[in-house]
Amino acid sequence: MTDTKDQSFKNPWTRGRRTPWETEVVTEVSDRKKDTLRQDIIDRGPIILKTDFEGAIRHNKKLTNYLILLLTLLAALTGYGLGWGAEVYIFGIQYDSYQYPSGIPYYNIGALIGLGAFVTASLLWTVYALARGDEYLLDKVGAIPADRDLHKRLFNVTEEMAIASGLPMPSVGILESPAMNAFAAGLSPEKATICVTTGLLKHCSRDQLQGVIAHEMSHILNDDIRYKTVVSVLVGLILLVGDSMQELSYRRRYRSNYGSSYSSSSSDDKGGNAIGAAVILLISILAPLAAKLIQMAISRQREYLADATAVKLTRYPNGLIGALQKISTAQDRYVRANRSIQHLFLVNPFRDFPAKSSKLLATHPPIKMRIERLQLLGANGSLF
Amino acid sequence: MPVSVIVILAAVVLILGYGVSLYNTLIRLKNQTENAWSQIDVQLKRRHDLIPNLVEVTKDAMDFEQETLTNVIEARNKAINASGQSREETINLEGQLTQALSKLLAVVEDYPDLKSNTNISELTEELTGTENRISFARQHYNDSATTLNTKVELFPSNLVASMFNFTKAVYFEVAEPEKQAIKVDLR
Repeated sequence: MTDTKDQSFKNPWTRGRRTPWETEVVTEVSDRKKDTLRQDIIDRGPIILKTDFEGAIRHNKKLTNYLILLLTLLAALTGYGLGWGAEVYIFGIQYDSYQYPSGIPYYNIGALIGLGAFVTASLLWTVYALARGDEYLLDKVGAIPADRDLHKRLFNVTEEMAIASGLPMPSVGILESPAMNAFAAGLSPEKATICVTTGLLKHCSRDQLQGVIAHEMSHILNDDIRYKTVVSVLVGLILLVGDSMQELSYRRRYRSNYGSSYSSSSSDDKGGNAIGAAVILLISILAPLAAKLIQMAISRQREYLADATAVKLTRYPNGLIGALQKISTAQDRYVRANRSIQHLFLVNPFRDFPAKSSKLLATHPPIKMRIERLQLLGANGSLF
Repeated sequence: MPVSVIVILAAVVLILGYGVSLYNTLIRLKNQTENAWSQIDVQLKRRHDLIPNLVEVTKDAMDFEQETLTNVIEARNKAINASGQSREETINLEGQLTQALSKLLAVVEDYPDLKSNTNISELTEELTGTENRISFARQHYNDSATTLNTKVELFPSNLVASMFNFTKAVYFEVAEPEKQAIKVDLR
C-alpha cells in the first residue's frame, strides 16, 4: 500500500499495443501527490487520471472517413459483380467468346450500369446517414422518447452524468423490452440520444443505472456515437442488399430446378448460368461478411474505454459492475435487435461471447472480462 | 541568404508555432474550467432557491430542532451574499451550507412523521438530487482544474502560462468536517 514500486501489478488496461482507446490507470504517483490522491480514493473511489479522449475523437473521425471510402469501394465491386452476373445469369445475354481475348468476360454494359448505380446509391445513402442517421436508427430499433414524469429517476441520473462529463443533456429514449440493455446514438455530442430498455429500468438500482448511463455518456464523450451510427446505417444497407441477393439466388435456383420456361437449353448457356450463380452467391456471402468484419473491428477497445470513463464519471465502479452482473445472468434478449445495430448496445443483444471465443467475431468483450477490469479499478484503492 | 540565417529563422518559426499551440491549449483548458465553474453556479443557485420552501414546510413540525433550521438559513444567506466575491469565499461558505443541510436531512430522516409528509419527502428528494448534481459538477470542475493546473505547472507550457498570466484554478474541496465523517483505514 505504502510502496507502489514494489508491487508487480500487471495493468490490464495497457496490455499490448497502445491505441487511443487504451486508458492509463495510475499505478505510480509522486510522493507529493500520493497523499491527496489517497484521500481522494477514500472519499470517492479510485480515479483514472488520464484517458485519451482527444486521441479517441480524432481516431473516430479518421475511421469514419476510411469507412465511407471502403464501403463505397465495396459498393462499386458489388455493383460491378452483380451487374455482370445479372446480365449473364438473369437476362441470359451471352457474348461470343471471341469478344474476350482472355476468354473471360471482364466487363460489359450490365457491369458498368451496376457499378454506377451502386456507387451513386451508396453515396446518397452516405449523405443520408451523415445527416439523418440517428433518427433512422432510433426509429428502426423502435425507441420512444422517455416521459419526464414517468421516468424521473432516469432523467435525474442522465442529467447528473451529463453534468459530470460536462456535456449537454442528451435526449432520453425508452425501448419496450424485458431484456436489460442500453445504447447511445447520435451524430454529435450536442445531438445525442441515450436509450435504455424498460427491463433495465425495472431491475437495476439507482447506482447500477448510473453506471450504465455513465458508460453510454462516455461513448458520447469519445465521439464513438457518430462513427457507430454511420456504421449502423451503412452496414445496414449492405446487409439488406446481401440478404435480398441471397433470396434472389435461391428463388432462381428453385425456378431452374423445377422447369423454368426461360432457362435456355443450350449447353453453352448453362456454363454462363453456373458462373453467374457463383458470382451472385459469392457476393451475397462476401458483402455481409465484409460488412460484419468492419463492424466487429471497431467495438471491443471502445467498450473497455467507455467502462473506464464511466468509472471516472461516477467514481463508483460497483454500480456498473452490478449492472453487468445482473445482465450476464438475465435470460431475456432484446428481440428487435438485428445484425446492423448489435455493436451499439451496452452488451451484445444476441449473446455474450465467452472469453475464449474468436476475437474476430465478437462485437463486445466478454462481460466477465469487463467486470474483472472494473473490479481492478474498484477494489478499494488496490491500484495504489 | 546564408544557411545559418535560414536555420535560425526556421527555428524561430518552429518555436513560435509551438508556443501558439501551447497558448491555445491553455486557453481551451481555461475556458473549460470556467465553463465547469458556471455549471456549479447553476446548481448552487438551484439549491438556494429550494431552501426557503424546505424551511417553510419543516418549520412547524420541528420546533424542537430550531437550531438546525436557523443554521441552514444563516448558511444560505451568507452563501448568497458571497456570490460575486472570490471563489475561495464561495467554496468555503457553500461548504458550510452543505454541512448544515446534511444535518437537517439527517434530522428529517430521524422523525417518521416528517418523513411521511409528502411535501417534505418531495422536497428532500429534490434537494438530494440537487446535492448529487452539485457534487458531480464539482467533480467535473476539479477534473478540469487539475488538467489546467498541470499544464500551468509543467515545462514548457509553464513559460507560456507565466508570460500570459495564466494562474492555477482553485479546487472546490469539500469542507473538513464532512470529510471526517467517513474514515477508512486501508493500511
